[in-house]
Amino acid sequence: MARRNTYKEDEILEEPFDIRHLLRAWVYIRKHAGKMVLALILSALGGAAALVSPMIVQKALDVAVPNGDMAMLYRLVVYVAAFFVVSVIFTTIRSYIMINVSQDIIYQIRADLFKHLQKLPFQYYDDRPQGKILVRVVNYVNSVSDMLSNGLINVILEIINLIFIVVFMFAVDVKLSLVVMAGVPFLMVFMFWIKNKQRKAWQAVSNKNSNLNAYLQENIVGARITQIFAREEENAEIFKTLSGNCRKTWMTAVGYSTLVWPGIDTISVLVRASIFLFGLLIFSQGSETLGTIVAISSYASRFWQPIMNLGNIFNGFINNMAYLERIFETMDEPVTVDDAPDAVEMEKVKGEVTFENVSFSYEKGKEILHNVSFSVKPGESVALVGPTGAGKSTIVSLISRFYNVDSGRILIDGQDISKVTLKSLRSQMGIMLQDSFIFSGTIEDNIRYGKLDATEAEIRRASKTVCAHPFIKGMRDGYRTEVKERGALLSQGQKQLISFARTLLSDPAILVLDEATSSIDVQTEKALQQGLDAMLAGRTSFIIAHRLSTITRCDKIMYINEGGITECGSHEELMAKKGDYYHLYTAQMEGLEVS
Amino acid sequence: MGKRDKKWKYPRTRLQWLWDNMEGHRFIYVLAMLGTVVYNMLQLTVPYFSGKIVDNFLTGENASQNLTEHPDLFIQNLALMVGLTIFRCIIVYVDCMAYEYVSQAVLFRVRNYLYDKIQRQDMKFYSTYRTGDLMTRVTGDLDAVRHMVAWVVRMVMEAVALVSFTSIYFIIMDWKLAFNLLIVAPLIFFIIYVFKLLVAPMHALLREKLANMNTIAQENIAGNRVVKAFAREDHEIEKFDDCNTDYRDTNKKTAGVWLRFFPFVETLANLLSVILLLVGGTFLIRGDMSMGEYVAFSGLIWAIANPMRQLGNVMNEFQRFSAASAKVMEIYYSEPEIVDAKDAVDKPDRFKGEVEFKDVSFQYADAKLPVLEHISFTAKPGQTIAIMGETGCGKTSLIHLIPRFYEPTEGEILVDGVNINKLKLNQLRKNIGLATQDVLLYSDTIDGNIAYGDSNISKDEVVRFAKYSAASDFIAKMPEGYETIVGERGVGLSGGQKQRISLARALAVRPSILILDDTTSAVDLETEKEIQESLRHLDFPCTKIIIAQRISTTKDADQILIMQHGEITERGTHEELIKKGGYYAELVKLQAGA
Repeated sequence: MARRNTYKEDEILEEPFDIRHLLRAWVYIRKHAGKMVLALILSALGGAAALVSPMIVQKALDVAVPNGDMAMLYRLVVYVAAFFVVSVIFTTIRSYIMINVSQDIIYQIRADLFKHLQKLPFQYYDDRPQGKILVRVVNYVNSVSDMLSNGLINVILEIINLIFIVVFMFAVDVKLSLVVMAGVPFLMVFMFWIKNKQRKAWQAVSNKNSNLNAYLQENIVGARITQIFAREEENAEIFKTLSGNCRKTWMTAVGYSTLVWPGIDTISVLVRASIFLFGLLIFSQGSETLGTIVAISSYASRFWQPIMNLGNIFNGFINNMAYLERIFETMDEPVTVDDAPDAVEMEKVKGEVTFENVSFSYEKGKEILHNVSFSVKPGESVALVGPTGAGKSTIVSLISRFYNVDSGRILIDGQDISKVTLKSLRSQMGIMLQDSFIFSGTIEDNIRYGKLDATEAEIRRASKTVCAHPFIKGMRDGYRTEVKERGALLSQGQKQLISFARTLLSDPAILVLDEATSSIDVQTEKALQQGLDAMLAGRTSFIIAHRLSTITRCDKIMYINEGGITECGSHEELMAKKGDYYHLYTAQMEGLEVS
Repeated sequence: MGKRDKKWKYPRTRLQWLWDNMEGHRFIYVLAMLGTVVYNMLQLTVPYFSGKIVDNFLTGENASQNLTEHPDLFIQNLALMVGLTIFRCIIVYVDCMAYEYVSQAVLFRVRNYLYDKIQRQDMKFYSTYRTGDLMTRVTGDLDAVRHMVAWVVRMVMEAVALVSFTSIYFIIMDWKLAFNLLIVAPLIFFIIYVFKLLVAPMHALLREKLANMNTIAQENIAGNRVVKAFAREDHEIEKFDDCNTDYRDTNKKTAGVWLRFFPFVETLANLLSVILLLVGGTFLIRGDMSMGEYVAFSGLIWAIANPMRQLGNVMNEFQRFSAASAKVMEIYYSEPEIVDAKDAVDKPDRFKGEVEFKDVSFQYADAKLPVLEHISFTAKPGQTIAIMGETGCGKTSLIHLIPRFYEPTEGEILVDGVNINKLKLNQLRKNIGLATQDVLLYSDTIDGNIAYGDSNISKDEVVRFAKYSAASDFIAKMPEGYETIVGERGVGLSGGQKQRISLARALAVRPSILILDDTTSAVDLETEKEIQESLRHLDFPCTKIIIAQRISTTKDADQILIMQHGEITERGTHEELIKKGGYYAELVKLQAGA
């Protein structure tokens, strides 16, 4: 495992600059290829219509004006106006199409990115600050929209434009055309140099922004901690540093980007000047040659216009490439836990759980579980006890296949869980985690998360079972009370009760309670016990709790230590054994007997 | 603009506010604006020189003669053309960079200011604004402000410079033709004005949709474990798809507004050329105008048409800035309600640690019922007070009043005999060590997390505080020990481990008042015993207020408070309460019977 990332460190971009990213973007563009071609044609037609106008104007000036032919002038004016109108109509339609295309493209990229994020394992979320993930989904995607739509069309148009001009130039005079083109190598060198600088610089910008975002998000969430430790000054300093880094990298990046336009402009004027010089001083001074020079000079400026435009578009590409790379990089993030290609739907589970020689490690070489084997019959309740960090939570998260095992197999009803679809597996499991996350929304919504189509009556029943009903009733709007982000208005115990109700509602075949009642007071827990008994009946359950009162009644107690099960049996059996569990239990009792 | 707006509730208008935040860089900014005028003038004049070269030395009547007789003049003109272009390029570069520089300075300043503002807000603020929304304000919205300074203003200056110079030039040359051309101007302004009216609300809406999307995505990322546990990925994807679609459609609609105006603006811009041909052509035929003048007009007509085309875009961006800056300023000018009193007492020395509640009642602003009613108790320096009671009875609310996260609705809280609203927040909080129920660790090293409250403490001390909270053993076993990075919110650690680090963090500030909010609920019993033991032997004097569920944690307290429905129903020592035979005695029986 790579070291966890924090706001202090840049994320390293693994891949070098790669045209593949653009090709990959093609996947998104392809869907709109028809519309884009249409837009391209409309642009070309609009451009052509706009080009005709000067020709008509020329005719007006060359013919109508010298002849004093007012009627002709008026007629030509109408023509010009007509061509402009056509051009405006085409351009408007093109804009309309392209707005739709570009918005659809970013919508799609964002949807795919989000979809992929849903598949990524815990590890991905654990390894980096949330703010760094968020910035990709929202801010970065916004940045690339124009580049993939209008940018692309304009590139094609300018290139077509350029080709025409080059062909014309060579048709007029090869030698002078070569003079015009002589600037190109300089331009290439310039662009190549600046491209590398720019790319690095914009990557730095995206890194620094990502760091800032990470810090910001973490500190908004942790405002209370900041305040209680009166850390405001120090945090402001850290933020200032991060903010300053953003500023510095931006100035560097924009320093290169701003150079492109004046750079090309300078090269272009030098080329034009050298045409004059070259043409006049080296060539003979015949008048036909002069005409050619004038023609070439006007082509030269026309040749450089699309080049400058291309330079600008290219500029934008490079800037946004840094973001596109980040987006694709996230989409490339391997989905380590995924449905096997031949995965089947898991049938309705009875609840037999078997571990066969399961070994597991979060990091290579640091085994958390070693050759763990056990079997649980349907409907049995199993308590996992042992010191913190021994691997209790790990065992239960493996049952839901939050991680893949290194070796061995986990079977549910005799079926290897790596061979069934994740959804069919997990939707039959009820897992209550230590951190009972509450979404913003109403209490009802939060409970309903367990069963999206649950009726109000079902929600109430579940709440009553877990003793959450009284306090919910007592709230301002009862079940419709808006709990703030992360359930800010609820106590930890209340959050646990809500998350309990949520789990119960999902009617799981296998229930996992990981310190699910740690913040609930003993009285409530006692009352909860009844509901819990009802809940546990007929379900296989795994319970992790430090309060032994919760677990003595379990069918089986497993003592987990040093990566394996050291003791296993009922409360009575283990007490008789006088091993680790016995010591743990007596220690707790001693604590009470002092009274 | 804001001034006339009656609903505007900030002391400064948007532009004034921007100007305020340019302090120290205003001179450069004004120079940059002038620079824009200069390079646009050069833009207008350079073609004149290249034109002259062509006329005098290439195509004109005496071209060959001029060329052979005055090659030096030719070179001179050429050099002037090249020189001026390069000069213009340099100015453009420096000018753009000046805008960028100032915009970054403004961004830097406002961003830091906002951050500081946000982190000093009280809890009411945090229950009003969602994380995703605040993030949007500090990132996306601020970027719109930056864009205003760096780009929109430059475009406006460019347009003003081009249009005014060209207009003056036209008027001087031929005021009648110029007048005919400029008749387009009021039309353009009218169209843009109507456009502004229609597009402004769209930008406000768009900004909301963005914030909404940010919020949904943020919560999904934060709650990813629950999402997976319930296999609700599809539901989440749907939820996100709604706001993603919403955002896309609003974007399209906003662009659609512009699209309705675009044909008119574009037509008007083109109309200039048509008018020029019509009126100019007529003038030419009538002999009211020379061909040279006509060419001059047609050569410069872009300098009026292009800014006209840009105007819609500029207005769009301006409205984006308008919507975004209002959101930024809302935070910029917001003031927390809980602040230092004007007559706050300065108590720089370590507090003794006496805490007294005098008839304190408290109700959350948006709640139906009070959470705390008539709470009175005193914790003498060095004493341990234990608070027990049912889930949701107000224990956590009670202790949150001590560091002034909220203000009591009635009664007063005294620390060292001084009402806490007369103490300086900073000094009060520096004296409190709080380990919250909902443990929040930072994505930083364990070392950094423990030293969060006081980053100056030595490595040895960090280890010592970890020992106090019985965390040193498991930390030592971690791959990189104290240098191990824990993920955000402490992912990768078990509940008990997180709680112990949070306890070490609270101890590390050597508080005179230590508040533990069910800090050992996920810790196994043996470890807890160890912690209790070390809490008794801290090497600094300290009043302890402990919320707990377990009798083993509370039995040695100097005073145990039992709370029910926001009131203290029993109080006394372990022995006294057992004798009394109330809730506590019941609790003891319950736990002993386990």
